[in-house]
Amino acid sequence: MAKENSENLNKNLSRLVEITEWFNNQDEIDVEEGLKKVKEAAGLIRSSKSRLREIENEFEEIKKEIEKEESENDDNLEIPIN
Amino acid sequence: MGDKEDKIFSVSEYIDILNSELKKYRVKVIGEVGRVDIWQSGHVYFSLRDEKDKSVINSVMWRSRYGLFGIKLKEGDKIIAEGYSDIYKLTGKLSFIAETIELAGEGRLKKEYEELKKKLAGEGIFEESKKRAIPMYVQKIGIITSKQGAVLADFLSNIGSYGFKIKMIDSRVEGQSAITDLLSAVRTFREKDIEVLVIMRGGGSFESLQPFNNELLVREIADFPVPVIAAIGHEKDVPLVSLAADLEVSTPSIAAITLGKSWKEAAVFLERYERDIFDKFRDNMESAHNLLGRSIEAIRESCEFIIKRYKDIENNFRVSVQNFKNTLLNKRNNLKIYWGEILLGFSSLIKKIYQQIEKSESIIVAHNPERQLKLGYSIASVNGKIIKSIKNVAVGNNIDLMVVDGTIVSQVKNVKN
Repeated sequence: MAKENSENLNKNLSRLVEITEWFNNQDEIDVEEGLKKVKEAAGLIRSSKSRLREIENEFEEIKKEIEKEESENDDNLEIPIN
Repeated sequence: MGDKEDKIFSVSEYIDILNSELKKYRVKVIGEVGRVDIWQSGHVYFSLRDEKDKSVINSVMWRSRYGLFGIKLKEGDKIIAEGYSDIYKLTGKLSFIAETIELAGEGRLKKEYEELKKKLAGEGIFEESKKRAIPMYVQKIGIITSKQGAVLADFLSNIGSYGFKIKMIDSRVEGQSAITDLLSAVRTFREKDIEVLVIMRGGGSFESLQPFNNELLVREIADFPVPVIAAIGHEKDVPLVSLAADLEVSTPSIAAITLGKSWKEAAVFLERYERDIFDKFRDNMESAHNLLGRSIEAIRESCEFIIKRYKDIENNFRVSVQNFKNTLLNKRNNLKIYWGEILLGFSSLIKKIYQQIEKSESIIVAHNPERQLKLGYSIASVNGKIIKSIKNVAVGNNIDLMVVDGTIVSQVKNVKN
């Protein structure tokens, strides 16, 4: 599922690049087509942002766990020698 | 005698009286042996004849006695017979009842001695190899000797006090009558618990030592279950008993000294051993003391070595642990650094993506035709082609005006420059 999402995000971003390039390259904009693309791009942007937020949240979770483990390891690092 | 003179005896009674009186007169008679008859019963009948006047007395020796002395009577033998006279009731004949006999005359005795010696030697009775060693530390001693005389005192005064258990059987030691005593004593001792038997008598002439040349006695001694010491004084010819004994000594005192010797030596040995033990003990103590000293020194050195080694090991261990700890800390720091880089990289990636999205968003927004329409702009087109110049239209063309909520169709009336 994560892979799928990750692939979707990549696809979305590529598609967005395509769309923006399409707009930049149009001498004469096909309004209907432009509108379709705008709508598609809006969807892509929405879902990409949502996916990015998910990724950020997951990353935050991982970060928290790592930092917790790190602080525990810091406590355990002392090796007593008499 | 008065009563007796009147008394009338039967023949038998009278012979009984005579025999009773005759028996009291035990005598030794010397004479020449006449005819010898050995009856089937084993009893020996012979006559003794006076050398000088040829007087004769008939003699009998019962079988039980005849075998004792090792003498086979032959006519012409000169013998000394010891015994008494007796009248045989059935014939009224007087006979001398010989209880012991011995050959008279040294020459004959000597000859008998040599013959017997040769015979017994032929049987191996005197073999050195048969002689048993007198055991050391003997305690139980049997003695055969006569209480008479100094022999016993001589023996006892020389034996010493080593806890001996001495049993003694008194025996006549001279004359043929001694043979029965000696045989009986030896046979008695066979059954007694003794470790050595000593037969003793003082010195004497060849004739007086005859009992000690008795064949039966010699065989008894040779066959005695424990070693036998003979201390029979003699001149030239060694008594056969002495030859058959396991040890022959010349006097009772030497016999005593022989028996006491191992004890005496033991006492000396003990004294020496005691001294040796003390010396060795002292030496051992000294050695032990030295060894102890050396051991303590060695232990002390070992301890120091061990402690030093232990300290070295402990220090090495501490250093190793510290190194390990440092390695761990380095690894951890590296991990932190990597993690920081990951955080940074990821954040920048996210940021980059956002930026890309935002850029796309702004481009999209900028190009969104709806936005223009919402602002009140409209898009005019003729036949689906957007009108960008007056050149694109002609009067009369239908123009489609796209506004935000629909399309207005209009007609070109005029074109101005």
